[in-house]
Amino acid sequence: MSSYLLALIFGFGFGWALDKSGLGQYGKIANVFRFKDMTVIKFMMTALCVAMVGVYGLQSLGVMELTKVNETYIVGNILGGMVFGVGMALAGF
Amino acid sequence: MSWLIEKLRKPRWSPYAAGALLGVVAILSMLIADQLLGASGTFENLAGIIGGWFSSTVSDSIYWKYVMPAAISWQVILMVGIFLGALASSLLSGTFKWRFLPDEDWKLNRGPNIAKRWVTAFIGGLILEYGAGIAGGCTSGLAISGTLQLAPAGLLFIMGMFASGIMTSIIIHGRRWRA
Repeated sequence: MSSYLLALIFGFGFGWALDKSGLGQYGKIANVFRFKDMTVIKFMMTALCVAMVGVYGLQSLGVMELTKVNETYIVGNILGGMVFGVGMALAGF
Repeated sequence: MSWLIEKLRKPRWSPYAAGALLGVVAILSMLIADQLLGASGTFENLAGIIGGWFSSTVSDSIYWKYVMPAAISWQVILMVGIFLGALASSLLSGTFKWRFLPDEDWKLNRGPNIAKRWVTAFIGGLILEYGAGIAGGCTSGLAISGTLQLAPAGLLFIMGMFASGIMTSIIIHGRRWRA
């Protein structure tokens, strides 16, 4: 049960960040593929930089272990990403 | 304190600030709950539940038994939290409003036709979710959660997503792509 409470809290932070950066809008998503609005890139890359340092720092300190690293299967990841990109550029969500 | 309240009420944050917040949330979620942030899995969980009501092929399939359990998973609750967080943020900043598709940005680029907007959103969503199913995640579950653990899967996904997204965008907009 407490893990569901955690899901609510982390989801809250996630949703908050998405709304504050304006990524709920069509233009922000659609225009990144036209190089006209780089909000998605700025948002994503900052999140990645912060989290990479934090996660690997904590792992080196022995505080946490990476138990859920996403599986890599090259063809599936690239092909899935390409199908995904078509949908994302079409719908703008 | 008033500084904090002012920041919380600000309608738009710099994407760098919002991104840093997401990074911290991602770290805490892995540290405390041992879970990755993700979004597309939610729809697969829910689709599995709904599909299971109508057909035992769905509920017995390997995919919904082992890969994406047809149940109210952690991810589903996370999505509820995402909704609440975005709602609270927009209410506090006073930007909350009922919007009807298509919005201004769409009209400018793709015309005022309402049916076109809804059909494109549906088909686009369908393609997007199918792609996420093949790749094993979406922008959050794979591109962000995967890449932050330096999983090659996340980087490969980002590559594929932008390559085909840019091409699709060129095809949709034609000569007005950069205009």
